[in-house]
Amino acid sequence: MKEMYPKNGRVILHVDMNSFFASVEMAYDPTLKGKPLAIAGNVEERRGIIVTCSYEARKFGVKTTMPLWEAKKLCPQLVVRKPNFDRYRAASLGMFEILRQYTHLVEPVSIDEGYMDISESFEFGSPIEIAESIQKRVLEQLDLPCSIGIAPNKFLAKMASDMKKPMGITILRKRDITKILWPMNTNEMHGVGKKTAEKLTTIGIHTIGDLAMGNEIQLKSLLGINGIRIRERANGIDQRPVDPESVAEFKSIGNSTTLPRDVSNQQELFHVLESLAETVSVRLKRKNVLASTLGITIRYKDRKTITRSKKLPNPINHKDDLSSFAKQLLLKSWNGDPVRLLGITGNDLVEQDHAYKQLDLFSYEKDAKKEPLLNTLASLREKYGKSIIEKAASHNVDSSQNVGTGTSFNKDFLRSFPDKKHEVD
Amino acid sequence: MKFIIQRDRLVQSVQDVMKAVTSRTTIPILTGIKIAATSEGVTLTGSDSDISIESFIPKEDAGHEIVEIKQSGAIVLQAKFFSEIVKKLPTDSVEIEVLGSLQTVIRSGKSEFNLNGLDAEEYPHLPQIEENNKFHIATDLLKAMIRQTHFAVSTSETRPILTGVNWKIENDELICIATDSHRLALRKAKIETDNHENYNVVIPGKSLNELNKIIDDTNEPIDIVITENQILFKAKHLLFFSRLLEGNYPDTSRLIPNESKTAVTVNTKEFLHAIDRASLLAREGRNNVVKFSIIEGGSIEISSNTPEVGKVVEEIQSQSIEGEDLKISFSAKYMMDALKALEGTDINVSFTGAMRPFVIRPLHDETILQLILPVRTY
Repeated sequence: MKEMYPKNGRVILHVDMNSFFASVEMAYDPTLKGKPLAIAGNVEERRGIIVTCSYEARKFGVKTTMPLWEAKKLCPQLVVRKPNFDRYRAASLGMFEILRQYTHLVEPVSIDEGYMDISESFEFGSPIEIAESIQKRVLEQLDLPCSIGIAPNKFLAKMASDMKKPMGITILRKRDITKILWPMNTNEMHGVGKKTAEKLTTIGIHTIGDLAMGNEIQLKSLLGINGIRIRERANGIDQRPVDPESVAEFKSIGNSTTLPRDVSNQQELFHVLESLAETVSVRLKRKNVLASTLGITIRYKDRKTITRSKKLPNPINHKDDLSSFAKQLLLKSWNGDPVRLLGITGNDLVEQDHAYKQLDLFSYEKDAKKEPLLNTLASLREKYGKSIIEKAASHNVDSSQNVGTGTSFNKDFLRSFPDKKHEVD
Repeated sequence: MKFIIQRDRLVQSVQDVMKAVTSRTTIPILTGIKIAATSEGVTLTGSDSDISIESFIPKEDAGHEIVEIKQSGAIVLQAKFFSEIVKKLPTDSVEIEVLGSLQTVIRSGKSEFNLNGLDAEEYPHLPQIEENNKFHIATDLLKAMIRQTHFAVSTSETRPILTGVNWKIENDELICIATDSHRLALRKAKIETDNHENYNVVIPGKSLNELNKIIDDTNEPIDIVITENQILFKAKHLLFFSRLLEGNYPDTSRLIPNESKTAVTVNTKEFLHAIDRASLLAREGRNNVVKFSIIEGGSIEISSNTPEVGKVVEEIQSQSIEGEDLKISFSAKYMMDALKALEGTDINVSFTGAMRPFVIRPLHDETILQLILPVRTY
C-alpha cells in the first residue's frame, strides 16, 4: 500500500463534522432527522442566537449567529433546541477516539474538527480508503456525518474538507491548486477573514490566484508577516506539523454574555461581572492555570464594542479577584451608556506550577501564616508525588458538572484529552 | 530685554531647566522657559508645577565675562523650539533681543531666528520659601542617597504615597526610605542642621530622579529647605523646587525584621553575577523569579526554571552561613536592583523564613539596607 503514499511528502486529513451540534441532536432523537433544526441559546430571550443548524434549515437561508427571530421568519417550521454540551463532548470524544485508531498524530482544532497526519499509516490502506473507513465508522458508530479533506498539508486539507458537504471526501493535490483554488475568492480561503479580504481588494487582489501571484513587499506592508503567510498558503505551501499537543497551548479563557436588555445600572453590571468571573474562575481552575492579564469587553447599545485589559500585579484565578479587577476595569472604561454585552477574559495564562505571587510588605503576614501548612504539602508532594494532595478549592470538578461553562468555542473540553489519549495509544 | 551670552553656558542652563518642562501641562505658559535678564545676569526658569527649576547664569564667572546685559527685561519662549535652537546655533555667542509686542530675535553668527514670545508677567511665581530653617549635605552624598533609594518607589498609582521617597530628619540624621511594597530601600546619613528640627516628608520619586541628573558630583554642600508642601534644593546658581506628596507615609520601621533565622555572607559581585545569569532564562518567562537554596558544605544554590526555555543551576560559595536551612524564591530584578545600590565587597543577607521579608546589608555598614519580599507558589 506504500506506493499510494508520496515518497517525500505528507498525507494530511482534515476531518470536519457536518453541522455538528444539530447532527448530535438528531442522533439522540432520530425523529428530528430530515427536519430544519437549529440549536440556539436562550430561546425566550433576545440572546437566542443560532449556534448551528441542520442542512435542511440552511436551505431556508438560516445561518449560524443569526438571531432566532430572524431565523423563524425565514423558516416558520424551524425546530429549535437548546445546546446540550455534555452530549457534544461525548460525541466529540468518540469521534477523536476513532481518528486515533489510525495514527497518534491527531490534532483536535475544536470540538468538531481535527487534523491527522497519516503519512505513516499505510498499513490501514490508501489515503482514500482510510478516509472512507473513518467516515463510515463515524456514521455507523456515532450516527454522525463528516466531511474529510485529503491533501499534502493542513491548509489544503482544510480547504478540501470544505468543498463537499455533507459526507464528502475531497482530494486536493498540489497540481490541482491552479484549477480549483485559484479561481476562488480570497474570503473563501481559510485564514482570510472579511477584513483581510477587504484590505486585499484595495491592492487589486480578489481571487486566491491573485494572492498567489501578489507582490510580496506590497502584501507585507499591507498585512505584515501574515501577508507573506497567506501568499504561501495560496501557493499551496504550509509547513505546519500536525501537533497533538497544540490544543494545550490555549492563550486565553473568557466568557461573555448578551444581557436580556440594555443595562446602564452599575450595580446590575457588577452582578453580571460577578457571575462571569465565577464561570471564568471555574474554567481557569479546571485547567490549572492563572491569568496574568485581565480583559473586559463592553458592547454598547449601538453595537460599538470596546475591550480593555490590565496587567495584574499577581496572576489570579479566584472569582473574587477576577470580579474585583473586572469591576475596576469597567469603572475605568465604561462611558455610562446602556450596555448590551459584557465579557471577562483571562490572558497571559500561566500554569499553576509556575505561577508566583509576589508577597507584599504590608500583607505578607497573611501568607506567612499558611507557611507551615504549605511546607507540609510540599514535603508530602516530594515524598508521594505531585497529585497526592490538593486544595479543596483547586480540586478538579467532576466532568459531569462541567456543563455550566459551555461556550460556543469549546476548547476546554479538549483539554481533558491527554489522559484519554494514552489509553488509545 | 537684550543680552549677549556664551552659547555653551546657555545650552547647559536650558538643558537643566528643561528637566522640569513637560509638553503635557494644563497651564499653557508652562510649555515655555522664562528668561529674565537683570544687571546681575540671566535667570532661566522651567516648571511643570510639581517641579520648578531655576538656573542662574552670572554676568561674570572667575573674571570671565559670560553675559553682556544691554537691557534688562524678561520673556517666555516655547521650550521645545528654544532648546533646539540654542543647541544648533552656529557660533559661540548668542544675542537675544525682545522687540516690541513680545517678538524675540535670536542671533548667532549669520543666523537669525524670530520667535513669538509670551508675556513673562503671566508666568507663575515660584514658591516663596523662607530660608532660615535649612540644613545642608554634601552634593555627592545626596546623590548617593537618591541613587540608593529612589529606584524602589512604586510606579503604580494605587497607593500614591508610595511613589515618593520618605525623608525623615531626626536628631541630625537624615533617613531616606522608599518602598513599592515588594521591596524597600533605606539609607541614613548624619547631616548638619541649623536648629535641630525634625521633619517627616515624602518627595516624589520623579523629582529626586530629575534632581540627581542636574546636580554635579562634587563634595560642595547643597542647602535644603523644607516647608509645609515644598522642598527646595539650593546649589550654586541652581534652585530646585519640588512639591511634596500629601498624606502619611506608612511606618516601615516595625516591618523591618530585627532578628534572623538564617544569615548568609557572600561576595556582592559574585552573588550579583550569579543572580544575573540565573535570570537570563527567567527573563524570557513571565516571572523573573530565581530560587535560592542553602545546600550542604556552606554553599548556596541559585537556580531558575522556565519550562518553555530551560533551566539553570549555579552554586556559589558563601563566606558564612548561620542558622536554619532555607529555600526561598524571589524576583531576580529586585535582588539585582538592591545589590547594585549597595556599596561594599561583601554583603550579609538575613532571612526569617521563606515567606517573610529578608534584609540585605553591606558587612559592617549600618547606614544602608535593602529589604525584599519573596514570592510564593500557588
